[in-house]
Amino acid sequence: MREGYRNELKAIKAEVVDIGRLVIEMTRDATVSLVEGDVDLAERVIAADDQVDVRVLALEERTLETIATQFPVARDLRLLYSLAHVNIHMERMADLAVNISKATRRTAERTGPRTMYDLIRAQGNLVHRVLEAMLEAFETNDLELAYKLKEMDEPIDHLFKQFFRELSRLQEEDEIEWASSMVLASRYLERIADHAVDIGERLVYMVTGEFEAFDESVTDEGEPPAT
Amino acid sequence: MTPLSGAARPEALEGAAKFTVRDLDFYYGDFHALTGMNIDVRENSVTAFIGPSGCGKSTFLRCLNRMNDLIPGTRIDGTITLDGEDIYGPGVDPVDLRRRVGMIFQQPNPFPMSIYDNVAFGPRLHGIKKKEELDQIVEQALMRANLWKEVKDIMERGGLTLSGGQQQRLCIARVLAVQPDVLLMDEPCSAIDPTSVQKVEDLMAELKSSVTIIIVTHNMQQAARVSDETAFFLQERQGEPAELIEFGRTAEIFTSPHDRRTEDYITGRFG
Repeated sequence: MREGYRNELKAIKAEVVDIGRLVIEMTRDATVSLVEGDVDLAERVIAADDQVDVRVLALEERTLETIATQFPVARDLRLLYSLAHVNIHMERMADLAVNISKATRRTAERTGPRTMYDLIRAQGNLVHRVLEAMLEAFETNDLELAYKLKEMDEPIDHLFKQFFRELSRLQEEDEIEWASSMVLASRYLERIADHAVDIGERLVYMVTGEFEAFDESVTDEGEPPAT
Repeated sequence: MTPLSGAARPEALEGAAKFTVRDLDFYYGDFHALTGMNIDVRENSVTAFIGPSGCGKSTFLRCLNRMNDLIPGTRIDGTITLDGEDIYGPGVDPVDLRRRVGMIFQQPNPFPMSIYDNVAFGPRLHGIKKKEELDQIVEQALMRANLWKEVKDIMERGGLTLSGGQQQRLCIARVLAVQPDVLLMDEPCSAIDPTSVQKVEDLMAELKSSVTIIIVTHNMQQAARVSDETAFFLQERQGEPAELIEFGRTAEIFTSPHDRRTEDYITGRFG
């Protein structure tokens, strides 16, 4: 019954997942570009963001049209409502990957302490794990995995704090300028993971109909967002 | 495509026009009922006509298969072409036109005869006599109307013994049996139960790959659900002719209509 409508719901979700894959790729490439000083790769991430913006906008329109013409209720309504939110999170995550790539532009010509590269690399790996888990949970409606996201996010926050300690050890002024860009990049990575945790919360609502905050997240940090 | 002057036209869907209506005015005797109608009905799509009661949507629908010819004193100005041919032109047989452009009404109206004979009625009228051939046509039409499974073992029962929703699908099968190009549906779901409404709506989605469908409906949600394009009709003042206010992609009409009057109507501010 209402086959066209059912197919459209599936197609909208599939498109969000597809955008999610692109965002994961962008985040990974942005991090690699930063630690390897690969400006070309950073430029490719920045260019990919245009594609994300176009797709996010098209999806928003499609979601709105489905709501306006098909009058979804119950789990269909929760699905479309949640997808609209997830869509916005994806767009923000892509923007943050762009910010990291811009940090590559500023830092590529110089080098800094090895510990900072190691921290970014470690943080990038952890963020990648969170994003993969988020997308898998989202694609398969896996609530158990969604609930793990917050736990997976914690070491990322700790690494970010460690960055500040490293920063305080620096002496040279130009080194501090370089390191500030790295700290910002670390902050962007940390926020990308926060968005992934928020998507996990949306997933719980989508599946159960219950609003549930996984402790602190992007929306309740008490400080202005980075984007 | 010729620019449309009679209605604001948001982004249109691609596809060949089945019906092309240009500068159509319609009169019941001295009464000027419709004015300045311009519309392209796309082939293999569902087009919905919406608007308050008395806004001329059914009158316009009946112009498309010359049903209004049956009312004395009616006349039209302007042109309506079907596949490029003027349907009011000399040499057009209105009976043949009505075979190509079938109609479904609000009240299911099976003939007082068996289910089989209802569906075989049209083909027989067109000279098909062989039982085998008729059997095949009847089965195919009932299958297309999603009624076959429910009636295949009771074909000799009277059509009027079926439920309202089944009767409506029987009427659809009866029309499909003569292989129409277009199906005009005038409030086809107003007199049937919600489950049957769902079946008729599903049926429209299935049929549009082979038939062009135009539906008049008072139910805006139904127009939104089933149609690809929507036309909004309005008679602004009593005694004045009704106009086509806006015509465009249904998704666009229901998210961001161009005309304030369309928006006021679909958001329930009048009508």
